[in-house]
Amino acid sequence: MEIILQTCVNALVASAFFALMAVGLVLIFGVMGIINFAHGELYMVGAYLVWYFYASLRWPFLVAVLAAFLIVTVIGLLMERTLFRPMRDNPLGGLINSIGLLFILQVLAVQVGGVGLMKNVPPAYRGSLELLPGVAIGNQRLVALVIAAALLVCIWYFLTRTKVGWALRAVAQDRDAAALQGINIDRISMLAMGLGAGMAGMAGALIAPLTRVEPYMGHGVIITAFIVTIVGGIGSLSGAVLAAVLYAFFHTFVTTYWNGTIATMLGLLIMLVVLIVKPTGIMGTRVSE
Amino acid sequence: MKAAKLAIPSLVALAVFMVALPFGLKLHQQDFMISLLVWVLVVSSYRLMALTGEYSLVHVVLMGAGAYGSALLAKLAGFSVWLAMPCGALVAAGIAALLSFPLFRMSGFYFLIGSFAAGEAIRLSWTYFTVPFGGPKGIKLIPSPELTLPGLGPIPFFEPIPYYYLTLIIVGISLFILYRLENSRIGLIMNAIHWRAPLAESVGVDTWRYRALAFVIASFFAGLAGALFCHYYGTANPAQFDVAAMVYVLIWVIVGGVSRFAGPIVGVVVLSVLNELFREAEQWRPLIYGCILIAAMFYLPDGLVGLPGRIRAWLDGRRGVAAAETGEAAEEPADLASPRRR
Amino acid sequence: MALLEVRNVTKQFGGLTALNDVSFAVKPGEIRGLIGPNGAGKSTMFKTIAGFYTPTRGDILFSGTNIAGSTAYANAARGVVRTFQETTLFQEMSVFENVLVGCHLRARSGVFSALLGMDRDKRREAETRTAEVLEFMGLAGRRDQLAKELPLGSQRALAIAVALAATPKLLLMDEPFAGMNPEETEHMMGLTRKVRSSGVTIVLVEHDMRAVMGLCEYITVLNFGSVLAQGTPAEVRNNDRVIEAYLGGA
Repeated sequence: MEIILQTCVNALVASAFFALMAVGLVLIFGVMGIINFAHGELYMVGAYLVWYFYASLRWPFLVAVLAAFLIVTVIGLLMERTLFRPMRDNPLGGLINSIGLLFILQVLAVQVGGVGLMKNVPPAYRGSLELLPGVAIGNQRLVALVIAAALLVCIWYFLTRTKVGWALRAVAQDRDAAALQGINIDRISMLAMGLGAGMAGMAGALIAPLTRVEPYMGHGVIITAFIVTIVGGIGSLSGAVLAAVLYAFFHTFVTTYWNGTIATMLGLLIMLVVLIVKPTGIMGTRVSE
Repeated sequence: MKAAKLAIPSLVALAVFMVALPFGLKLHQQDFMISLLVWVLVVSSYRLMALTGEYSLVHVVLMGAGAYGSALLAKLAGFSVWLAMPCGALVAAGIAALLSFPLFRMSGFYFLIGSFAAGEAIRLSWTYFTVPFGGPKGIKLIPSPELTLPGLGPIPFFEPIPYYYLTLIIVGISLFILYRLENSRIGLIMNAIHWRAPLAESVGVDTWRYRALAFVIASFFAGLAGALFCHYYGTANPAQFDVAAMVYVLIWVIVGGVSRFAGPIVGVVVLSVLNELFREAEQWRPLIYGCILIAAMFYLPDGLVGLPGRIRAWLDGRRGVAAAETGEAAEEPADLASPRRR
Repeated sequence: MALLEVRNVTKQFGGLTALNDVSFAVKPGEIRGLIGPNGAGKSTMFKTIAGFYTPTRGDILFSGTNIAGSTAYANAARGVVRTFQETTLFQEMSVFENVLVGCHLRARSGVFSALLGMDRDKRREAETRTAEVLEFMGLAGRRDQLAKELPLGSQRALAIAVALAATPKLLLMDEPFAGMNPEETEHMMGLTRKVRSSGVTIVLVEHDMRAVMGLCEYITVLNFGSVLAQGTPAEVRNNDRVIEAYLGGA
């Protein structure tokens, strides 16, 4: 019984990370029509920045996380401006450019991070919070969960309750119609890309003390993000969040009770089935809610 | 046309060059030539797929399926390598045929992501199932082919030069088949599907069948390439056929130019030779490739094979000749997803 | 017997009923016009006959066989071929190649025979047919031009040529006169009559009333997904409900 509850707690933490990655990917795809293959590398850069600021330069952990978030956001803005905007009429071109960037970021991580590939980031918050006898959540995880959830809520509020958020969703619905209404597509695209990248950077930054930081850590994450995005319905934000939670629970349970590789394999198969049966995913077709 | 007259002599010259080549090379360069030939087959088969307008991310995994298939048949089932290799290719084609049922219900991005998912699932199964795939370490000590010629004794196919010739022959024949296919009526239909699938369908083309056909044939040759690969190097493991390898294939194809048959071949040859020349920069390789890829997207929409046409058009433009009037020089910039049969 | 019989066809998209119990029949050798105000369901009717949509209820009989829900390519093999709105062509291919693709059904062969060149007779036959069709449509002089380089009128003619290459018994034309000037329209009407006199039955969806009235022997008017009126151009023109639908809707 404790194991089940403990697994649920772990799955909840995973949900937040999956959602951060997937929502960013969906925002970018919804607004620009580009699948950002470098999304996992933005996550990796976020983790490296925390390693650098926090573990190397000894900045306070939260400051390091904030810095990582901001820097990766800026990287996202630069990507939009230099790699995606010129390819606006050629979505495949944007995808190819993101693949090029993926390689570049990986090599830079190897070079900057030194030849030793793995970086250990010591936890900033030790100890754990016992929720029930035998069921605990590490303080580091708790902080990560709270920040990730807070960021998601902010994004949700921004998209549904502000004028700019409304404009962003309008562009995702129908770019041409939005342009006719006088919405500045360039600015909305930069916004989406900045937000999407920032969320990926934030996810990486928060996870740095909980995992091994290495140049190829983005690969497993992008697979997860793809699965979540497709299952949720590419272009649907609420779908992405829902699918993130479902898949996190699925993956965590299968990993705990069986095997991590099997969990990913099954996830990929589920994604294939969704692509076949309902390519629009479990929730609609477009950015909504 | 002028180009057609030159085609046969230049092909003969190329053949002579390829036959003479290994004798001037060092051992590791001979190794390099074998792998280069293998990759030439991989990218050329990829182009057949691209002809229908779909870009797949499962191609290198299917190459791996050919390698695993052939290696297992030779090692466990005791097949002769000569039989195992084509059977390995058939394994890849068979997997492609099965995958075509789910995958070709989609197109565009969905197909891209779907093929990626399928590829990763297959690759993870190699990692997970130690029996028979050997887990992350893969299969080792894969036998090389054996052939005894009367009067000459056994041919040492484990040495580079004999294996180079074997690879040259198989890849040469495969390229010839791919070229013929592309210029046959089937290639015409595949190209038509790429341009306007609904129109092709309205005159009786079963587009699903032709997409699947391109996929299966392309996978057969990718599998054959994988088999050639593993029986020389003696190993097959999941890391050889990972996403990075797939991305390299994509880069070779795009940088070379997908609009011509020769494009992907030019891409893989030019980039690999450059890579071989700057071996000490090995760890920078992905970065350089990434930059080249992005640069190609911006400045070489036709790829390297489109370069002569562009230069000619530019020169003509400078001479004040309207490029459009010269016809041939008016190399219209095709977007990436626009292979044309030529 | 009717060549095409649409029998009680209903087509719903989600909760929206695009076609409601539509029935009409087309005799062999006819040129039939399908008209109606915007949103009347013409386009849905057209796509349903062509096999791009499956009707929710009802049958579509072609020479007595029910083809409702059949695929577009299977319909083509039966002799039902459509053209597209705008200029849907294989833009980057030559005029000749465009029509050659249209000959697919007669040139079809297996991979190995194509590889070994054993399909030579079929290829030659397809090429002969292509040349004939180009001649028939007045495009013989443009055979090596790229489709996208043709003027609008010739592109439309080429679109019909591609369809004709598939030897249809029934040709479905989707707004063949859209965007044409009077001169081009006149030329296109001539071509359409010529196609009909070669033994092809034609059903066309069109906005251009002048062309429809001048060309069709019989017209079916749709409104809000139902058949509003049927009859000769003169009957339809003087039908009060049709006048009301067009004037009231406008």
